Amino acid sequence: MIFDKPSSVELLQAVNFFLNEKIKTEVPPHLAFKLRIVENVLNIVSREIELGSQLSQDLMTDLKKLMESDAANLQDLSLLIKEGKIDIEDQELKNVLIKLSKNKIAVDNPNYSTFKKLVE
Amino acid sequence: MNKNLENVLADKLAEASIHGTIQNLQPLTGGASKEIWKFEVKSDSRSEKFILRKGSGIEGPMAIKTSDEAKIQKTVISLGAPVPEIISVSSVEEPLGDAYIMKFVEGESIARKVLRDKEYKEALKGLAFQCGESIAKIHQADINNFSFLPKKTVSEQLTDLYQTYVSFDQPSPVFEYTHLWLKKQNFGELSDALVHGDFRLGNIIVDENGLQSIIDWELAHIGNPLQDLGWICGNSWRFGNTDKVVGGFGDLEDLLEGYNSVSEYKVDKEIVKAWQVFGTFRWGVICLIQASAHLSGSVNSVEKAAIGRRVSETELDIVDLLFLGGS
Repeated sequence: MIFDKPSSVELLQAVNFFLNEKIKTEVPPHLAFKLRIVENVLNIVSREIELGSQLSQDLMTDLKKLMESDAANLQDLSLLIKEGKIDIEDQELKNVLIKLSKNKIAVDNPNYSTFKKLVE
Repeated sequence: MNKNLENVLADKLAEASIHGTIQNLQPLTGGASKEIWKFEVKSDSRSEKFILRKGSGIEGPMAIKTSDEAKIQKTVISLGAPVPEIISVSSVEEPLGDAYIMKFVEGESIARKVLRDKEYKEALKGLAFQCGESIAKIHQADINNFSFLPKKTVSEQLTDLYQTYVSFDQPSPVFEYTHLWLKKQNFGELSDALVHGDFRLGNIIVDENGLQSIIDWELAHIGNPLQDLGWICGNSWRFGNTDKVVGGFGDLEDLLEGYNSVSEYKVDKEIVKAWQVFGTFRWGVICLIQASAHLSGSVNSVEKAAIGRRVSETELDIVDLLFLGGS
């Protein structure tokens, strides 16, 4: 990256701090509630920047093995399932669906109760 | 801006012979698609609190008219299900728009507060039973009263949900798998009934004595009533208390005991899982719908944008239920 510091994640953190420490206390309750959503959104973006490509590659490795193709993608897997062209009792398929769901939630909401239960 | 709303409200209340000065009109944090306002009417002798519930014009495709919600509340209150008393209903052509005014019910509707605050701790012990009872009372309503409500079989609903998911062109292997799985399940052969459609913490008012009121009827429809039992058991509505299957506060046995104490049809525990998966898939598709309202540009809303990233919660919950022994 050719860009100076702060990094994109650090910039988002600064915005989050500003919203939470300086603004939240100054606005009426219904807007303070919405600020929590804004905070969550900024955190999703931060995690995607930091973890997104690694989590995607991790899943793609398993997906390519399952579909026996370097061109494997989620769209094609969806189609195989829909058209009954893959054994839905296959444990390898189930494992890919489990990993896909875990890797997505690791960015979207790592505090989600089911994720915490499953990684413990 | 609120001055105008106050005037319109005062006119509408006058029709119901309620006169006085409107005070403390304030928006509440409610659902994503309705406006909810709390206000007081002060006359010489007393002050009374009310709620205005008003359509925003950006409701999702599954939502019914706000004024129709009021019609349902009027019917179910007579069956002994606790709902707020309706004061006045406004149709879409009137100055107030598609809306209704109801009595304010004291208590708490915010799920995390109900689950966290000490004052509700005792009430939570009996809440699953109470919810079961009330859900069963709702299901006893004569559906001939609700010709304005959409009527769908489970398989029609499933097809609708699936087609809606497909229309957003965001292929999900988990949802494809779920759709196949659901098509093979037994959902119970029950007569059509009034289904609340969104019965859970957040849409009920609780106080230290337990369930006080059932609100937010916008997803009501006619269909297989067991949907309401599976819905409140989805992990999406446990608000972090994942080990408490019913709404994050209760056990399935208590919910069913309450339900079966009122209902003629006795529900077996085994059938609830299919409805849990159905409900979780339904919530996933609702998340897609909400996010699409933002993505299509019809509204610009950070809440609706954010909800697109909650679809993955439903995928993980389904994977947990189907493959990992989740309950």
